[in-house]
Amino acid sequence: MDSSLWQNTTPLGRMVVYVILIAVSVWVVLPFLWAVGNSFKDVVSTFSAGAFIPFVDYQPSLASWESVLGSPNALLALMNSFIASIGATIMVIILGTPAAYSLARFEFKIPSRDISIWFLSQRVLPPAVVLVPFFVVMVNLKLIDTRLALILVYTTFNLPFGVLIMRDIFRDISQDIEDAARIDGATEWQVFYRIALPLSVNGLITTGIIVFAFSWNEALFAATLTSREAATLPVYILSSRSTRGVDFNIAAVNTLLAIVPPVVMSLFVQRYLARGLSFGAVKG
Amino acid sequence: MPGTKDRWFKFLLLMPAVLWVLAFTVYPLVAAVRYSFSSYVMGRGIVGWVGVDNFTNVLTSADFWHSVLITLIYTVVAVGLEVIIGVALAWVIHLNMPGHKVFRAIITAPLFTMGVAVGYLGVTLFSSNGGLYAHLLAQIGIEVPWLSTATGGLSAAILLDVWRWTSFIFLITLAGLGGISEELYEAALLDTRNQWTVFRYVAMPLLKPVVSIALLLRLVECFKTFGLPYALTSGGPGTSTQLFSTMDYLTTIQFFDFGKGSAMGVTFLVLVSVVIVIFFRQMRRQIE
Repeated sequence: MDSSLWQNTTPLGRMVVYVILIAVSVWVVLPFLWAVGNSFKDVVSTFSAGAFIPFVDYQPSLASWESVLGSPNALLALMNSFIASIGATIMVIILGTPAAYSLARFEFKIPSRDISIWFLSQRVLPPAVVLVPFFVVMVNLKLIDTRLALILVYTTFNLPFGVLIMRDIFRDISQDIEDAARIDGATEWQVFYRIALPLSVNGLITTGIIVFAFSWNEALFAATLTSREAATLPVYILSSRSTRGVDFNIAAVNTLLAIVPPVVMSLFVQRYLARGLSFGAVKG
Repeated sequence: MPGTKDRWFKFLLLMPAVLWVLAFTVYPLVAAVRYSFSSYVMGRGIVGWVGVDNFTNVLTSADFWHSVLITLIYTVVAVGLEVIIGVALAWVIHLNMPGHKVFRAIITAPLFTMGVAVGYLGVTLFSSNGGLYAHLLAQIGIEVPWLSTATGGLSAAILLDVWRWTSFIFLITLAGLGGISEELYEAALLDTRNQWTVFRYVAMPLLKPVVSIALLLRLVECFKTFGLPYALTSGGPGTSTQLFSTMDYLTTIQFFDFGKGSAMGVTFLVLVSVVIVIFFRQMRRQIE
């Protein structure tokens, strides 16, 4: 469906628009294509940057993929990343959903908006400020280099965010259905658990995916709190960068492994994404 | 309406999250302030109080101020470009031309890419030994010492940041544009055929709150940036591209100087508070 703006755009204007969009698309897509191409090259052919076309410029091989996926450290990092991110996501949903519902539906002495702002303030705190205390606490609890430490940290940093976006989702649900259930004698818990929760499931999935992506991509605390056993992908990448230098083909495989999961997940949740990422400040 | 017996219900739902956040952020923040006045030895804990020595140490350190300056340049340039490009692209996609969905998907693709991975990939893009960008630029006779100079390294990091985060501004602005009634444009188009005029006088005033939220969210995130520049340059060559976050990390983890590391963190927090206060004023207006 064209907008009236597009109908009022001159042919020259339309051409300019497409030229800009194609140029931007090339700029965005090029690094992805470069990584995919390099991941199928051997080390020698990565030295010629001009080798773009498989089978013509270079002979594609799966050697780099086999080399990375055959390395126990890489597989461990992949698994650690999944466990830490999924663990944090589950914790945020379990702790955050009830809190969000409570803020969306009930009045408190302190205005609900101010409680929300307080939650948000936790997200704004630069994590470097609390790096040392977290490290010391994890040493004392003997949690250094464990996935549990990462789950605790990622839950902490994403919970405020989760509460805000889920609160926004609950506010969208019509209260009429809930009131009808109350008249039929449902307890408050049943209203929350049986009615509000199932109605908001799409929004909750979006929230979960955003939390997953933030946890998956986190590097500062992962690099501080883990070294071997619980090292996640960013830590693995940073250490292979400093010990092995940069082999372009290996770098490409590592990059793709790290980038693909959250990017693919985000494709399924376009609808709430803008709202979620702006903490519900933008209705999308 | 919920009755009196439900008074406890709302607290029961809210409290676990509140207590969790209190325990895991208030305590560390208080601890950070304590450490910043102490001398801390790994394995033995606080071994003595040193007054404001750590702070004097930080405030007189050229490296610290250099890292603050680099963080400031990085943030202002990167976020500035992201807002300009992101808003422009959102406006263009908002025209709903044939194919806009494909372009929208492409522009949002980098949204959730891992900073460390982007920085690492960036090495293979900007390297003068077979890097893609270096290679393409060489074809047209331009040679840029991307990763071997401070300016080059910082520029490369900023370009990658823009590549990654423009999608964020784009997405939020696009959602904001979706909230503007089509009729307003139609009315404006009766007076002018000029797109820029329509954007400037119809869309821009209505977009202002949305874009300022997106801008502030980006600013706050950008001050925290760690993975991308660390993976790309590790602060090098030398310490010329050291951001606050990478320097604080190195002070803490490589040199185990917890007193100084904490003092750096607290000082930085004070420095960015101005931005944060503006942030909350804006946010408070938006979140009802």
